[in-house]
Amino acid sequence: MKALKIQNVEKTFGSIKVLKGIDLEIEPGQFLILVGPSGCGKSTLLNMIAGLESVSNGNITIGDRDVTHLDPKDRDIAMVFQSYALYPNMTVKQNISFGLEINKTPKDELEATVAKVAKMLQIEPLLNRKPKQLSGGQRQRVAMGRALARDPSIYLFDEPLSNLDAKLRVEMRSEIKELHQRVGTTIVYVTHDQIEAMTLGDVIAVMKDGEIQQFGSPQDIYDNPKNQFVAGFMGSPSMNFVPCDVKQGMNGLVLVLESGGASHELPVENGIEGLSEYVGKKVVLGIRPEQLTQVSEDKPDTMTIPCLIEIIEPTGPDTMVTARLNGVRTVCRVHPTAQSKVGELMPLQFDMSKAVFFDPDTEQRIY
Amino acid sequence: MSLSRVLIYSLVLLAAVFYLLPLFVMLMTSLKDLEEIRSGTLLSLPQGLNFDAWSKAWGTACTGVDCNGMKGFFWNSVLIVVPAVIISTILGALNGYVLTKWRFRGSNLFFGMLLIGTMIPFQVILLPMARTLGFLGLAGTTSGLIMVHIIYGLAFTTLFFRNYYISIPNELVNAARIDGAGFWLIFFRIVLPISVPIVVVSVIWQFTQIWNDFLFGVVYSSGDAQPITVALNNLVNTSMGVKEYNVDMAAAIIAALPTLLVYIVAGKYFVRGLTAGAVKG
Repeated sequence: MKALKIQNVEKTFGSIKVLKGIDLEIEPGQFLILVGPSGCGKSTLLNMIAGLESVSNGNITIGDRDVTHLDPKDRDIAMVFQSYALYPNMTVKQNISFGLEINKTPKDELEATVAKVAKMLQIEPLLNRKPKQLSGGQRQRVAMGRALARDPSIYLFDEPLSNLDAKLRVEMRSEIKELHQRVGTTIVYVTHDQIEAMTLGDVIAVMKDGEIQQFGSPQDIYDNPKNQFVAGFMGSPSMNFVPCDVKQGMNGLVLVLESGGASHELPVENGIEGLSEYVGKKVVLGIRPEQLTQVSEDKPDTMTIPCLIEIIEPTGPDTMVTARLNGVRTVCRVHPTAQSKVGELMPLQFDMSKAVFFDPDTEQRIY
Repeated sequence: MSLSRVLIYSLVLLAAVFYLLPLFVMLMTSLKDLEEIRSGTLLSLPQGLNFDAWSKAWGTACTGVDCNGMKGFFWNSVLIVVPAVIISTILGALNGYVLTKWRFRGSNLFFGMLLIGTMIPFQVILLPMARTLGFLGLAGTTSGLIMVHIIYGLAFTTLFFRNYYISIPNELVNAARIDGAGFWLIFFRIVLPISVPIVVVSVIWQFTQIWNDFLFGVVYSSGDAQPITVALNNLVNTSMGVKEYNVDMAAAIIAALPTLLVYIVAGKYFVRGLTAGAVKG
């Protein structure tokens, strides 16, 4: 049995197709992230799982029940909203117990649930306050408490952290992760923040233009993006995309790189068969900043190319230096002690073992 | 105090005097007897507190052939205003709730057409409404007049509530739906409790409109069922030789008292409610 099964789900508003046939399945207890830029349809999909928006086409199954046409209250779900949506006229305690009260939960059971949830989220001292009197983080906790009290088979989170300041966001992120580890319930979580997606998810669905671009584990999506959009969206700073000519070299294929006023030939070492069709044509080299580093003795067999440094951005543990390769700005992650000066040539090591290649026209990965 | 301050305060003071002077003249005149009115000026103070004109206006002044004062008509107005205000406010709240949180196909068009209702002058609907009331068998009855006020006020109350509810996030309603609440439960447990400011606006607006209404009152009610505004008109127009200005003034103040009271008690909520949507961040 799957915890959630979405089969060929579509959503149309008038003549506009917002979701174009979504298919996905998750196992019980999994943490699913729907991530993508705004307007990609991720929140619409979540609202459809919740039953807040109607399904134009397709089926949604929660557990072994087809819920496609059920009311939100009959779907056995709980939802945490971006604006928290706490009832302003009720105390924290009433907010948490409202759903239980409607479902005619016996009084003592209701009290016990509220106490348990309040303890779990450490909001016991706040129970008699109104939402107005709470800070952003406390409101967030109460919103989660309201969801927890319902003890549903799936939790739905709609960008729950985007209204918090940066520091609190990181704290609440680990709290949500810890909560999931503790209660073990299936979660569907919508975010536009790829860091949240990477850190929280067991599985990620990267969405764009109403379609799932890629579905997989965070590491798989990071290491093996299916297309240029996914590659660029996941990871921060983003992956560099350098258009290069492919040539037949002496020991296999090489890429031609213009850097620091000179032309270099960069061997493609990980034997990608599809590339041979591109000899004499252009491909897009996708390489992450951490694969472009200062020259290190540990990896003697990697290629080193001198690059002209244009921008230097220290982040503390690493320094991001921007060089220009084939006319494109390329971010490299170097050790702070190794950084050079702006306008100088710095030798950078290209670790091609994790490099990926895309077709410049279709933006699809070349395998 | 700077010159501009002085200027501002003088202007404010002037405006206040401008608006308060008629009330002052009315109050003073109502406390004088006819002899004093004849001999003194408009602004001169009465010699003593003489409430004879007030008790006459309330209890024995003639409004046409009957000489029972304003009191019966005062209660007529209360009986018209209270149900009309309550019902039109409740219906306006429900309309606003549906138009913002339970939209249907064509709900914007519906709202647009309803808005036209706020621009229709009283006079335009007099005849069609008279026909309708006759058709319904409500012509000349208090319930008929109440119905006219409810229908006419609905466009305004709907507008108030709709504009207030549009600033309430939809997520609030969605959260309640997931919690298992339905249309009515969400309305009574969540939406209505946070509507106090706009309820006050709606009640004040409707109360003043209906209490002060003369045209509908004079057209759709008759005899003993007439509202106080019509009675005041009859009282002033019924003269037995000498014109009793003191009784006229006392009657006019009695007729205006309830709306005055409502403004004094709830005026600040009125302003707060009107601006509630505007300042929300």
